[in-house]
Amino acid sequence: MSKRAADAVFQGLYLLTDIRGILRETVPHHRLSAEQRAETEKILGKLEKQISIIREELLP
Amino acid sequence: MNCGNGIDTRQVDELYINLDPIQAGGRLTPDAMKAVLAYGDGYSVCDHCTKPFRLDCISKPPLAQFHKDLAEFMHMDVARLVPGARRGFQAVADVAIRPDDPVLLTVYSHYTEFLAVEQAGGRAFEVPADDAGIITADAVASRIEDVIRITGRKPAILFVEQVDYQYGNLHPVAGISKVAHQYDIPVLCNGAYTVGIMEVDGKELGADFLVGSGHKSMAAPAPSGVLATTGEWAEKVFKTTGIKGDITGRTFGVKEIEMMGCTLMGVTSMGMMASFPHVRERVKRYGDEVKHSNLIVDALLSIEGTKVLSEYPRRHTLTRMNTVNSFDTVAKTHKKKGYFLTSALLERGITGILAGSTKVWKYNSYGLTDDQARYVADSFVDIAKKEGLPCVS
Repeated sequence: MSKRAADAVFQGLYLLTDIRGILRETVPHHRLSAEQRAETEKILGKLEKQISIIREELLP
Repeated sequence: MNCGNGIDTRQVDELYINLDPIQAGGRLTPDAMKAVLAYGDGYSVCDHCTKPFRLDCISKPPLAQFHKDLAEFMHMDVARLVPGARRGFQAVADVAIRPDDPVLLTVYSHYTEFLAVEQAGGRAFEVPADDAGIITADAVASRIEDVIRITGRKPAILFVEQVDYQYGNLHPVAGISKVAHQYDIPVLCNGAYTVGIMEVDGKELGADFLVGSGHKSMAAPAPSGVLATTGEWAEKVFKTTGIKGDITGRTFGVKEIEMMGCTLMGVTSMGMMASFPHVRERVKRYGDEVKHSNLIVDALLSIEGTKVLSEYPRRHTLTRMNTVNSFDTVAKTHKKKGYFLTSALLERGITGILAGSTKVWKYNSYGLTDDQARYVADSFVDIAKKEGLPCVS
């Protein structure tokens, strides 16, 4: 059992969900404010970390 | 892109401003979407269900507390989750109406209220609206007298919308309840368009039953809703089972008959619960929603010949317009005929109005940001000008 992999999958899905929220907030043009851009950058950074964990755990 | 065999991925709210009259208040919050991801499996809330084995008693996830919070939020004594407001109507009708009982509804009552009355064997009598499209306490009083004269009995219950689905008008439920109670008639207030949208105080409304819709107004997946009531009525509508099998001798604990035991055992209750903290906050910002609603109506009214059929100024975000003398005049000669308006809106990234509508149509601006509301308002005027309709600036 890899609890770490399962956590990373959910965390990744949640981070993508936050981006989905930003898409919805900014329809129809998806022009992000400075604050939304910073938030998206932050989310993507965290998402990359979760993907690395999944690689480490499932594809050693 | 598919999310299953032959099932398109739905991206309506990721790509467009969605003005669909019934969808606006039920759009999920990101937290609800996360709950959907984690609790999508069937009986997902039942992992830690222990005695007395009932949904509203589960403490992990905290459904027991959620039920208490919902009752408090609606200013009622007891609340239960139900699979949509309609199941709330049905449960109440089953305990309040006996066969052939007269029942009072209104000309704006939702069809599921009628079906609930029909299932219980009641006879439907409707309260008319006044010229402004409002159900008044006087009209209710007059109709109660009619029913007594016609049937020899008072109505068993009154169903009334706080905000109706046809015009989005706000009806004076507190005054209406007062009249009904003078005749000792219990009142079910249908808050499908209000609970979760604006602050609703069931006690102030004088409601014996207050019903909300999770998927219409509480940012929850369908089917979900809430039935809240007073302590007195809770004993009847949430009565527990007493039946016993004659061979097995089985009994069924504290399952509630009208709820058919447990109601929302998975993703629906969890989505609703995940959105609830946001819903509790958003009702406090209802003034902004009304501002957006009026901004868009005013833009539409600046197009000559356009009329608003809902009460005006707007007190809700669901609005019915009449554009027979504006957009529909364009439809008569446009190559896209009646589809030109929804097509032009779609080109601007706006959807949700019934395709082909240019005569009488509804929209709901709930949940738009300031920028989005302004954009929608400007888009209507822009389309009108482009088609040569005179606009008052």
